[in-house]
Amino acid sequence: MPEQTATRVLTCIQCGKCTGGCPESGKTPFNVRMLMRKTQFKSNIEESLPWYCTSCGACTIRCPRDVKPSEVVIELRSKLVEDGEIPVTIQKALENTFVQKNPWGRSRNKRADWLRKLDFEVPHVSETESKRLLFVCCIQAYDPRCMVIPVNVARLLKTGGIEFGVLGEEEACCGNEIRRIGESGLFEELQEENLGTFTEYGVQEIIALSPHCMNALKKEYGDTGIEVVHYTEVLAKMVEGGALKFPGSFEKKVVYHDPCFLGKQSGIFDEPRSILKAVPGLELLEFSRAREMSLCCEGGGGRMFFEVESVYQRNAEVRVIDAGKRGAQVIAAACPFCVMTLEDPATEKGLIVKELSEILMEVI
Amino acid sequence: MKTGIFICHCGHNIKHTVDVAGLSEYFRKYPQVTVSEDYPFLCSEPGQNMITDSIEKHGLDRVIVASCAPSLHGELFKDLLRKKDVNPFLLRRVSIREHCSWVGDDMEENTEKAKRLILSGLYGAAHFIPLEEKQVDVNKSALVLGGGVSGLSAALFLSKMDMQVYLVEETPELGGRVRELKSVWPSRKNGADIIAEMENELKARDNVAIFTSSKLTNFEGFFGNYQATIDTPNGEKKVMAGGVVVAIGFTPFDPDIKPELGYGRDPRIVTTLDLERMADALKLPDKPRVAVLHCIGSRDEQIGRPYCSRICCINALRAAERIKERYPDSYVESFYMDMRAHPRGGEEFFEDTQEKGVLFTRANIAEIIPEPEGVVLHGEDTLLDEVFERGFDLVVLSIGMSSPATSRDIASLLKISLDKDKFFLEAHIKLRPFDTAVKGIFIAGSCSGPKDVEESISHGRASALKLYGFLNLGYAFVDPFISIVDPKRCSGCRMCEQACVAKAIKFDEDKHVVHVEEAACMGCGLCNATCPSSAISLKGYVDTIIGDEISALLEAM
Repeated sequence: MPEQTATRVLTCIQCGKCTGGCPESGKTPFNVRMLMRKTQFKSNIEESLPWYCTSCGACTIRCPRDVKPSEVVIELRSKLVEDGEIPVTIQKALENTFVQKNPWGRSRNKRADWLRKLDFEVPHVSETESKRLLFVCCIQAYDPRCMVIPVNVARLLKTGGIEFGVLGEEEACCGNEIRRIGESGLFEELQEENLGTFTEYGVQEIIALSPHCMNALKKEYGDTGIEVVHYTEVLAKMVEGGALKFPGSFEKKVVYHDPCFLGKQSGIFDEPRSILKAVPGLELLEFSRAREMSLCCEGGGGRMFFEVESVYQRNAEVRVIDAGKRGAQVIAAACPFCVMTLEDPATEKGLIVKELSEILMEVI
Repeated sequence: MKTGIFICHCGHNIKHTVDVAGLSEYFRKYPQVTVSEDYPFLCSEPGQNMITDSIEKHGLDRVIVASCAPSLHGELFKDLLRKKDVNPFLLRRVSIREHCSWVGDDMEENTEKAKRLILSGLYGAAHFIPLEEKQVDVNKSALVLGGGVSGLSAALFLSKMDMQVYLVEETPELGGRVRELKSVWPSRKNGADIIAEMENELKARDNVAIFTSSKLTNFEGFFGNYQATIDTPNGEKKVMAGGVVVAIGFTPFDPDIKPELGYGRDPRIVTTLDLERMADALKLPDKPRVAVLHCIGSRDEQIGRPYCSRICCINALRAAERIKERYPDSYVESFYMDMRAHPRGGEEFFEDTQEKGVLFTRANIAEIIPEPEGVVLHGEDTLLDEVFERGFDLVVLSIGMSSPATSRDIASLLKISLDKDKFFLEAHIKLRPFDTAVKGIFIAGSCSGPKDVEESISHGRASALKLYGFLNLGYAFVDPFISIVDPKRCSGCRMCEQACVAKAIKFDEDKHVVHVEEAACMGCGLCNATCPSSAISLKGYVDTIIGDEISALLEAM
């Protein structure tokens, strides 16, 4: 464990602020405060425990001693990764990322396949004047459910008259989840590869589709001099300036779910809401656990790649039940992981989950 | 020249990493060194006697004390010279503790460094000249900023000691935050009554001018003769003050900057101060469930308030007690990280509150979520390792103290310093807790860090007493380090005039040179550094001293 992290852990006052707001503590054997206590004393920590963390970041944002518990969990995982004591599916995701530059192990030369669904050409970023890059993210480049997101956003950006380009097969996984799994070596490799590509083509600005990628590119790639934004920030500006208009209408009650990496970790709460409010017919509802208090969907921190041991009620299900009680017909999110986790219980309970861009495609 | 070198061990502080005996031995070989000794504690009485005895026995005319930093015990060693009729400015302090023994552990390297530091003192001291402390007339008047309990107690004390007092309060009323308190612990007196008593007494005195709804807009001059400009509802007022007591209080923490507390989004979430204001207007069900949260805006690195506000545990207990007394069938749960009921009687008060049935849970609440049926608290009982969600009818946030909103403005007007939390910084936390680094300007009450009512009153009086001690004779002595101009070198460029913060430099139109008004000069040295012709020097700090000190540091030994 880096000395600075270890020193901060020693300052933990065991107040329980972390555990009290943790999406996993209470219902699972995971107790983040106890992990800090055990780390202080270098006591043995049962090896399944660190994998419960979803990297939602609530503990780190709120810790009164700035111990950064979620970062300590990454260090605990890092030790397990080093010792090879990790779940098989995690092992696989790491290997895949090493070879194919995406955790699902799909072929790298299919990374740009989504572009075929567009009825217009998107230039390579090097051929654009603005050097503005649309960073696609692995799940949205390969997963059949999420592949529609880059297609939608590309159409919306074109409609709004914003120039952008892509990297196609040259894009590698951003490494956000890889770092959280505890493989900092592989994360650094991915960072180096992507930064090399950005520099080669003179990238000036990045529009990230996934809040997870935005987080890594913006906060964990060091001082790159490249401006990184989430696509909802761009769309919100376009809507405000009148460049993007919605002639259609979406006559539904929609509740917006704040993704952790977009909301509590990046402070982007108002942009997605202002876009949804501009959609004619749409009635925007709110969860009582909204904005900074949004309940994590449990899709982050490597949790997309394996199932934890204990059986308990999923937060996604809690979220869907709550949405139903509020009379929502649609749950909107602006993160592919949230969409994936929320969709199962929602389908079961007759609710629809839509990525924000999907709603917009119905009204332009 | 007869120089005495005295090297302090400071117990183990210096001795454990500096060869003190070797050093005193070494300096005996210099012809200008008459005596060179080392001693366990030079600041102790026998240590002081050793120095005075040596001065007398050998007729020393230079004294070098190698010990702690000169900021400590400054006057103590000077007084030893005064006692023996030696000019106190022939003393040279050398810091071999803060600048040497505390820095590294290598005995050899440290001894070498200490040797050079002392040598540099020795070379520099050779150029010292006897200086006379300047006597200045001082105004027997004080400017008190802030009309809360601390400022009021300072003003009252000074007024009773026959000093003219100018009290400046930003708001329309005197009394500050205490006026709002219904029952001040532990006396249980009404805050407004405490204030009324002090206010009436002050208003009955004829040597006090009170300016409410007013603020300080300009401040200049020097110790004993400060000129303050005050913006009042009746126009601008200029007053002369010998010194200042700054007692501008604190700002109550605004929980709005911590979104997870839900403050401002639901009327069922209130602060301890809101609760005071609501008083009897508070409407709750017959058997209300009330939560009280400690440490709101205190002990929190995330919002730049890492300190304990000291008053909020008692305030939380007061809130819990009040609810329990008004609603005997209420369920009151108090959530704390650590209970710090520190003032006298505080622990007993905690125990009484427990006896009254208030429950205490060790938890730092993570989220407060208002739902229609109740306000839900998410937290962990850290003694049971149990995560909980509990609903309440009312949530009381025991808020801490933030630095006063105007601390930056006042600090820059008075040229005094702030600490990292933007409270005013004292000159020395133990030895000069009421002073600032500027002579004649004192701080009092919670503007120098969280304090309760009792402490604020005592602090106000203590600062007033110290200021009175400075001014009561109508004259005072100030350091003789003032600038002198060599008119032969002065080119009349007047750059020094721009640099001078004390406005002490005057230009002579006929001779086309500047001169320094001694009474106004603060000896800051800005003009010396600015002068392109090296025409200005500071008495006692001439260039030859600095030049020789540097050569001592670099000399082959």
